Amino acid sequence: MITRWPERKRGLRCAVLALMLAAMVGQPASAQTALERVRTSGQLRVGIDATYPPFGSVEGGEFSGFDVDIAGAIARQLRVQAVLVNASFDGVFPALQNGTFDVVISAVTITPERSATMLFSEPYINAGQALAVRTDSAIAGVESVTGKTVGVQINTTAQFAMEKIAGVTIAKYNTIDLALLDLQNGRVDAVASDGPVLRYMARLSFPGVKTVGREYTNEAFGVVLARGSDDLRRAVNAALFQIQDSGEYAKIYATWFGEASQSQAAAAAAPALFDTGLIARTWMVFIRGVGLTALIAASSLLLGLPLGLALALARVQPRRLLSTPAAIYVEVMRGTPLLVQILFIYFVLPSFGVNLPAFTSGIVALTLNAAAYVSEIFRAGIVSIEAGQMEAARALGMNYWQAMRRIILPQTFRRVVPPLTNEGIALLKDSSLVSVIGLTELARTGQELASRYAAPLTIWPLVAVLYLALTFPLTRVAQYLERKWRPVTRS
Amino acid sequence: MIEVTNVVKRYGPATVLNGATFQIAEAQLTTILGPSGCGKSTMLRCLNRLERFDAGQIRIADVAVQGGDAGLTPADEDALVHEVRLRVGLVFQNFNLFPHLTTLGNVIEAPMTVKKLPRAKAEEVGRHYLNRVGLSGKEHHYPAQLSGGQQQRVAIARALAMEPAVVLFDEPTSALDPKLVREVGTLLRTLDDLKKTLVVVSHDMDFARAISDQVIYFEGGRAVESGTASAVFGSPSQPETRAFMESFHGGRTEVRS
Repeated sequence: MITRWPERKRGLRCAVLALMLAAMVGQPASAQTALERVRTSGQLRVGIDATYPPFGSVEGGEFSGFDVDIAGAIARQLRVQAVLVNASFDGVFPALQNGTFDVVISAVTITPERSATMLFSEPYINAGQALAVRTDSAIAGVESVTGKTVGVQINTTAQFAMEKIAGVTIAKYNTIDLALLDLQNGRVDAVASDGPVLRYMARLSFPGVKTVGREYTNEAFGVVLARGSDDLRRAVNAALFQIQDSGEYAKIYATWFGEASQSQAAAAAAPALFDTGLIARTWMVFIRGVGLTALIAASSLLLGLPLGLALALARVQPRRLLSTPAAIYVEVMRGTPLLVQILFIYFVLPSFGVNLPAFTSGIVALTLNAAAYVSEIFRAGIVSIEAGQMEAARALGMNYWQAMRRIILPQTFRRVVPPLTNEGIALLKDSSLVSVIGLTELARTGQELASRYAAPLTIWPLVAVLYLALTFPLTRVAQYLERKWRPVTRS
Repeated sequence: MIEVTNVVKRYGPATVLNGATFQIAEAQLTTILGPSGCGKSTMLRCLNRLERFDAGQIRIADVAVQGGDAGLTPADEDALVHEVRLRVGLVFQNFNLFPHLTTLGNVIEAPMTVKKLPRAKAEEVGRHYLNRVGLSGKEHHYPAQLSGGQQQRVAIARALAMEPAVVLFDEPTSALDPKLVREVGTLLRTLDDLKKTLVVVSHDMDFARAISDQVIYFEGGRAVESGTASAVFGSPSQPETRAFMESFHGGRTEVRS
């Protein structure tokens, strides 16, 4: 059973969690219980990583999947509205713990390690791991993988199960559709993952792939709640019991895992190498992703440029009172991962009374980070201007800042256009990291659609082309500035 | 009148100016002459406060500047330096023109930002001085499009456009070929009617003899001898001056303007 463990990038995650726990200690206990909050607001906020069909997927804000239907059924029992919030699996547990969600319903396996820090409902589905192989493969089940190479999604229980079998070479992938693609391409001999997911994916768009053997583990998924949400857990358990009793659960199960779903999936199968029909169906979703990426990257660059320039000016001027803090700022922002900065601003700052929405948090983090790099580019440009230029300006009676503004900086700008263009393009691509706080920008859009349609070969080339297209305006502006500011040489 | 009294300047253990004392008369062209490394360029930079000095006093264009830590607040120091620089222009050895500005832009930049002249007025002044140095028609050329001699003329016009009482020239002949050396000498003499105090630092004895009213011979970080050009060149009184002139004429590189 897939269990996307939060231990990926373990050290980083631990540091962030420690920060968050430290922040939570100082938080006043909420007057309301979790259940009261849900009842008063009329909303059950459900965190889900919707890149995992048939449990959860999303297209253009429209969620679908087994977990999605279970969430809706639970909410109906509680007589509230289910509000689904899409977040990467990286961000879903911290967000639960800081109160952004009431519950997480996202194919989460109940494990002792997770039970130590969070609450689980009763299991709502049992599933086991299975093995997928090429249709012409001799592998008949998990018993015959010794000496073979097996692809898994990184840090899942499938990976841990394979690690226990001697003689298996493990290849790790970020998403399961990429593992299956490599299986199809012959680089791995088998793929281990949740049985329902493998069957769904194989039917939908990997025609040369089949599942073999029995499911060799038995694991249980549960609804996850933050510690202290005991009354909400009781209510969720009661709701799960009622939907099972009323037959609603069976209907949901049949929709996603029954015979009908299999023929439906087969009908939807479009095993084209590059599926232009899929692009025609999803282009509106891509436009939204492109728009968000462009907006976030452009805002961060436009805000980061003046901030970076100010930092560079603070560093090159002689007064320590200004230059030392600027130097420390640059060291810290360059020396810490952008991902941690994003998580810090979104998840930790609320504990200090600064509660920024995800969009603002993303822009603030990217701006602060880019400013550090931009400042070094400007500083290098400023110190590259010959000392005689400053002397000549000062000898003519200009003060330091007049000389800087009228003589040094205009020459600096001409020199730093190429490295600033680099920084702008890097920023555009780094902006994909904001998906961790639930912003569906271009890369996240690609991830969602690639797994929903199990069509990585169609989606990822398109994502790449769209990123390339996004860099064009930037390089055009750079070309224009370079032409306009071309150093005047002897003609 | 420029009065330099016992000026001392050290760079770490090296003493570059060692009790330099001399006077320079107003509205005259005075050359500070001396061998390489004698401290004459440092002396020039001290005159407009591009360098601070450790002891002594300089009076220049009615401003007195003390060496060392004279107990001035940073604001007072800035005001003092500003006073000096408004009255003392400097033409650098390698000109230091602003490459991103046209000839006219170079000349009008400081009048506009420092003196706050409106652009039209600054351009009028700028064109006037560009004309004085023979660069009419080159207003919209960039420095890189000009010859070395033309660049030097822009640098001179740029200094003159601030209308200082004193103009300092740091080694004006070192970047020029012999023909241009003669031209810059002629140009400096054509500025006589501006009645400015011109101070030229040079190691070129023939150039100094050709252009100077007064000569100060500099060696070992101090003024060894000073007087009218004819007196210093005709009958030098100090052994250092005589030795320098003899070594110079060993090469016979005399150029007359």
